[in-house]
Amino acid sequence: MKELLRSKAGPAAIALCLIVGFVSVALAHHSFSPFNMTESKVLLNATVKKIEWTNPHTWFWFDVPDGKGGTELWGAEGMSPNYLDRRGWSRNRLKLGDKLELTIHPMKNGDKAGMWMTAKRPNGEVLVMGGTITDP
Amino acid sequence: MKRGPRILFGILACTIFLGCLTLAQQRTVRSAPAAADWAALAKLPDFTGVWEAGGGGGGGGAAPRGGAAGAAAPATAAAPRGGGAAPAAAGRGGGGRGATGPQLTPAYAAKAAARTSANAEDNASANCVPPGVPQIMGQPYPMEFLFTPGLVTIVIEAYTQVRHIYTDGRKLPDDPEPNFHGTSIGHWEGNTLVAETVGFADTPRGITFPFSEKMKVVERFQLTDPDTMTIETTIVDPEALTAPYSMGSRSLRRHRNWTIAEYVCQENNRNFLDNNGKAGIILANPGGAPR
Repeated sequence: MKELLRSKAGPAAIALCLIVGFVSVALAHHSFSPFNMTESKVLLNATVKKIEWTNPHTWFWFDVPDGKGGTELWGAEGMSPNYLDRRGWSRNRLKLGDKLELTIHPMKNGDKAGMWMTAKRPNGEVLVMGGTITDP
Repeated sequence: MKRGPRILFGILACTIFLGCLTLAQQRTVRSAPAAADWAALAKLPDFTGVWEAGGGGGGGGAAPRGGAAGAAAPATAAAPRGGGAAPAAAGRGGGGRGATGPQLTPAYAAKAAARTSANAEDNASANCVPPGVPQIMGQPYPMEFLFTPGLVTIVIEAYTQVRHIYTDGRKLPDDPEPNFHGTSIGHWEGNTLVAETVGFADTPRGITFPFSEKMKVVERFQLTDPDTMTIETTIVDPEALTAPYSMGSRSLRRHRNWTIAEYVCQENNRNFLDNNGKAGIILANPGGAPR
């Protein structure tokens, strides 16, 4: 890997892999067109309120501070359980009440939802939907 | 019985009899497998078990961590109508390994051009319509191969689809019923399973270009090492294509401790495609069913 990074072609090859990986993931169960795929929205202090561990997508719902002393409900669409189970997840990985710094591709229409990009727990653990297969 | 009803009864009986004859001609009667038929399976290459398309299918180790690419999206649905590899007009390029796309005859190039260039991402997958053959073979979900005498069954986790490839020596049907995944007949060439599929319904969920009733999808399955399988896919269509369209080779990896998981797409599908073909999301009833 180090050699690959040092070589001139390395970064290009890695970029190509990322693009190919993205395109193949992007050709999805459904359109990504409801989401603004070029925008990232960070939701700080998002508290897990409800979990739908279901096909064809998982959905995670969060109470997020609205900046006025209250909270508002946000939804994040994730990969399906069968996909996640093979990549280090389980239905118990997130529990109600867990706090995350959640990054999503927000809905274009302004609805309070988006596509899960990444999330971080207070202890630094990162939760993504893709990643390496952990089950051989 | 009066004469009128008697004639009617006769016509009805004849119709049923002829109908049964027609059905009998179309269907292959399979004899009960003998012990030798089961024993013969052990001599075939071992395809049994659960296979996953790896990076090529959007899943597997190639999916980068974090960022946009680490996010949601089951099942690949490489573009139905109007999307996918851009069809090329006849005479352009050499048609090598699918890199240039299908080489269409002038008549079918005109059909392709007449198609509306709908957003390729806004497709019926949002309504849980699966991709068809051959795209269904490249999902970021695994599939299981089962051998029984005269039949290879492929259980595809994505959208819970099943393919039957008959290897009992029957011929391809001359006038096949149009099926979503077509009708598949297979034979062995050495250690390679060759599946030929014809008779596709006019819902081209697996084919990205206009095709004729003569289209045939040819898939060649073989093991390149004990736990690696390749599928080479070629489409032939004497009316629509000037040359066979090679879609190249896909590599699958066997996971010996995997089982096929459930994937009922309609279970909790918050995605939809509206009457104008635009995709949307239902956010009602968080934590429960969306409707």
